Amino acid sequence: MSSMSPHAGSQLVDLCAVLLLLTCFAIVAQRRLSACVDLFALQSFFLAATAAIVAFLTGVHHIYIAAALTIVIKVFVIPRILKKVIERLNVSRELVMNVNIPAGLLICGALVIIAFFITQPIIPLGYLLTRDSLSIALAIVLIGFFTMIARKKAVTQMVGFLVMENGLFLGATAAAYGMPLIVELGVFFDVLVAGLIVGIYTHRLQDAFDSVDTSALTVLKE
Amino acid sequence: MLPIIILLIGPFIAGLLSLVIRRSRLLHVINFSTMLALVGADTALTTQILSHGPIIALGALVYVDALSAFILFIIAAIGLSCSLYMWSYMDEQVARGVIAPKRLSVFFFLFHMFLLAMVAATIANSLGVQWVALEGTTLATTFLIAFFRRRESLEAGWKYLILCSVGIALALFGIVLTYYSSVRVLGDVSAALNMTSLIGVADRLDPHVLKLAFIFILIGYGTKVGLVPMHTWLPEAYSEAPAPVAAMLAGVLETVAVYAILRSKILVDQALPPEFSANLLVLFGFISFAVAAFFILIQHNYKRLFAYSSIEHMGLAMIGFGIGGVAGTFGALFHLLNHALAKALAFFTAGNIHRRFNTVEIDGVKGLAKAQPVTAVALMVAGCALVGLPPFSPFFSELLIVSSLAAQDFASDTIHAGRFITVTISDEVRSLGTVALLMLFALIAFGGFMYRIGAMVWGEPAEEGSVQPERWTPGHVSLIAMMAALIGLGFVLPEPLKLLLNQAVKVVLAR
Repeated sequence: MSSMSPHAGSQLVDLCAVLLLLTCFAIVAQRRLSACVDLFALQSFFLAATAAIVAFLTGVHHIYIAAALTIVIKVFVIPRILKKVIERLNVSRELVMNVNIPAGLLICGALVIIAFFITQPIIPLGYLLTRDSLSIALAIVLIGFFTMIARKKAVTQMVGFLVMENGLFLGATAAAYGMPLIVELGVFFDVLVAGLIVGIYTHRLQDAFDSVDTSALTVLKE
Repeated sequence: MLPIIILLIGPFIAGLLSLVIRRSRLLHVINFSTMLALVGADTALTTQILSHGPIIALGALVYVDALSAFILFIIAAIGLSCSLYMWSYMDEQVARGVIAPKRLSVFFFLFHMFLLAMVAATIANSLGVQWVALEGTTLATTFLIAFFRRRESLEAGWKYLILCSVGIALALFGIVLTYYSSVRVLGDVSAALNMTSLIGVADRLDPHVLKLAFIFILIGYGTKVGLVPMHTWLPEAYSEAPAPVAAMLAGVLETVAVYAILRSKILVDQALPPEFSANLLVLFGFISFAVAAFFILIQHNYKRLFAYSSIEHMGLAMIGFGIGGVAGTFGALFHLLNHALAKALAFFTAGNIHRRFNTVEIDGVKGLAKAQPVTAVALMVAGCALVGLPPFSPFFSELLIVSSLAAQDFASDTIHAGRFITVTISDEVRSLGTVALLMLFALIAFGGFMYRIGAMVWGEPAEEGSVQPERWTPGHVSLIAMMAALIGLGFVLPEPLKLLLNQAVKVVLAR
């Protein structure tokens, strides 16, 4: 066990969780696609740091493995795939969105409040050092979900999905020191394959539609 | 032990082999023998479970009880008929030049990975591993749906990928919450998500957390089942996918997703009063049933028609599981089997119809009885089965569900409207009223469905050029077998199946 008092430890973890939340807001406020991907990589780095701190403070060693995988897959591999997709597609900015940026930021603020409201009955029941992060985790999941709805470009929608997965990983680490290792490995595998599939998909979409603006995907109607 | 290894290794090896093999006949043989192996393994497992009880294997990674064995049976049976149907269907698509011959290997690779993921989701002990497998099915089937690479297929596949992944991510949050509550009781053990451990401590888990967890899991996995309002990916995905893929998605994958919801329900019912999950299931089920019935009325594309019928039937199954009790649960489980059979049959006929008429519009198809008699009979059987007509087996499962709904004890309700008016709804009115409403929607669906099927079957086919009469293919063997099953199960339930169903009901009701 570390020499830091539990109180200071949980404050440190909360600080990291708040930094994660801030990157979420930054992604919502960004128009440039490559900047969104960079912010996602930054967020994943903070996530890995949070996990590493939790592992250090509690002595549960398999969280280190999850933190390492986060760095490898979410900070390097997937952002590289997405950057390649952006290069190939030749789009750099997202000018038209379903929900504009100021309104989007306000909605994200409301989502954070909603997340805290929903998890309110659960928080006092936790006894682990990172229980407040569960609310932030749900907030990140909801903001990621909102990003997928509010944006039109396929790449940003994928970033929204990845943000949701980050929120879930934070939730798992916050709630219970990470899920069983085999589950964590499985989740990483799924996320990686999903990233690859989106890479291939945008290629096909580009060929078929000459754009990856998903608002062009309205051929199929009732 | 050996059957479980076969269940997991079989599709895996078959998938890898499919990647390297080019000859289509060999690919089909591998596929068919994998399915046969699955059927054999499931039979062996069932006999063992019926005599010795649930099986825990591979160091508590695998848990198979009567409920899992029943779902495996559905996977294996529909998969077997699908592999026969694919024999002729895929060869025809290659012969017509719709897909390049070397893409057939990719198709079979994805198909076997899809199978592996479904089997893994059914026999996994840990809820987390089950989640990973279900997300795996989404990833494997995305490209299967978009296989024809038309613009509409790509659009359908993309929507499917995004919506199902989002839904499943919400389900993961529910699982995280479940883990959160179980770790409190069991300590930080890697087995804290295992169903075998959770069942033992279910009554000590925190009710608030489980409430929230179940809502997230229901919404999340409900997206894959196709419950309204999370169903928007479904009609397009099923109409764009190749016929055998649509059959597997509609018949089997939805069933596996229902199974995942059931596992959570079993857990939650121990910690919370059973009305909580029951009300949610009946609510979603009813809304899905009603909305699907209305959409069936306005369909002009027969594959979308079958897609909405899937939503409707899954809604009915949810109602059955929500009502609970032996009759409701038995009816709902039996309905999963019947729906899988009927829906797979429907999509196989859709594939045959498309082959002949080259359109998915209902108005473009006329005179099927003269052009393709066997397919026409199969379509009539599938249609009558899907609307719940006797003597086909869905009639009996729907009868069980509806009668358990009617027998349900609703408390009588009193509404105070204003100071002088008090309305009391007696319990009989509530239960019979609910049934009457359900029957109304069923009638609406019946009307829309039969009208469209009749329009396709009767009449005179438009003669264009040289028209070949319907030739016998391996696919027709599937059609006949499934028709026989639908009629046969309506008359007699084979003894081993009945035993398996009874055991499965006991598992769901946790008695």
